[in-house]
Amino acid sequence: MATTVITGRDLSFTIATVSYNEQATSATLSGDVTIDRYMTLNGPAYKSVDKQWTFDVEMLADWGATGSLCEALWAAAETSPNTTMAVSLTAVTGAVFAFNVLPIFPSVGGSSPDAQTVSMSFTVVGTPTETFS
Amino acid sequence: MPASSILSSVRNPLKTAIAGVAANVYDSVPEAPIVPFAAIVPSTPYLQPNFLSKANVKLKVNLVITVGVAIYDNQSALDNIEQLAISILAALPSGYEVGDLTNPINVTVGASEILALEIPVATYYTQTN
Repeated sequence: MATTVITGRDLSFTIATVSYNEQATSATLSGDVTIDRYMTLNGPAYKSVDKQWTFDVEMLADWGATGSLCEALWAAAETSPNTTMAVSLTAVTGAVFAFNVLPIFPSVGGSSPDAQTVSMSFTVVGTPTETFS
Repeated sequence: MPASSILSSVRNPLKTAIAGVAANVYDSVPEAPIVPFAAIVPSTPYLQPNFLSKANVKLKVNLVITVGVAIYDNQSALDNIEQLAISILAALPSGYEVGDLTNPINVTVGASEILALEIPVATYYTQTN
C-alpha cells in the first residue's frame, strides 16, 4: 500500500456555517478519554468512563474587517454563551467530522511587530459525528 | 476582474507607500540604483503557504527593503541612512510585520560605493482570479 499523506492544506472547517479557511492557520479536534483502573482479585481492570472533546483553533486576527470572524465569535460569546454552534471539520475529502461547540471569547492583542493572532480552545458539547466516504 | 499578482497587490503598493520618502524606490532588484534609494527585494524564505485549505492560494510574503545612501563621509552617511530607514518605517502601510534592521555596511554597486542596510518586512497575500 502506498503511503498516504494528508496535510493542513487538506483541512477546512466551518463554525455556524461560516468558513474560517480565510484566516485559520491551525485546527485540531482532540478527545480526552478518562479511563478508570480497578484492582480486582484477577488483577487490574480498565473501564472507559468519560470522553471530553476539544477543538483548538489558531487564526490571524481580523478585528475591524468586513465580515470579521473574530467579531462574530465575540458577539456569539457575549449574547449567546450557552447556545451551541455547529462545526464541520473536513480532515480531507471523504473524512468529515461534525460537532457542536460552545462559543468563547477570542483572545485580543499580540506582540509587536508580529501579526496579531487568535488562539481558541472550544469545548465540544457531546461527541463528534464522523462521516467517512 | 484581472487575476491578482504579488507585484500588483504587494510590491507595487509597498513601493507607492514609501515613495514619499526622499529616495528612489525600486520594486525589484535594480541594475544600477541611484542613491539615496530603497529597493524591495525577496527575502528567504520568500513565499510561505501557512493557511488551511488549498481552495485558495494564500501566502505570507517575506520581503527585504534594502536602503542605500551615498558614502561621502561616515558620519553624514550614517545619519542619512538612519533618517531614511526611520522615514521608511513610518511610511510602511498597516498589515506589515517589521523585523530587526541590519547594521549598515559598505556595498560596491557598479563603480560606486554605497552604505546599505536591510529592513525585513512581511505581509499576507491572497491569490484572486
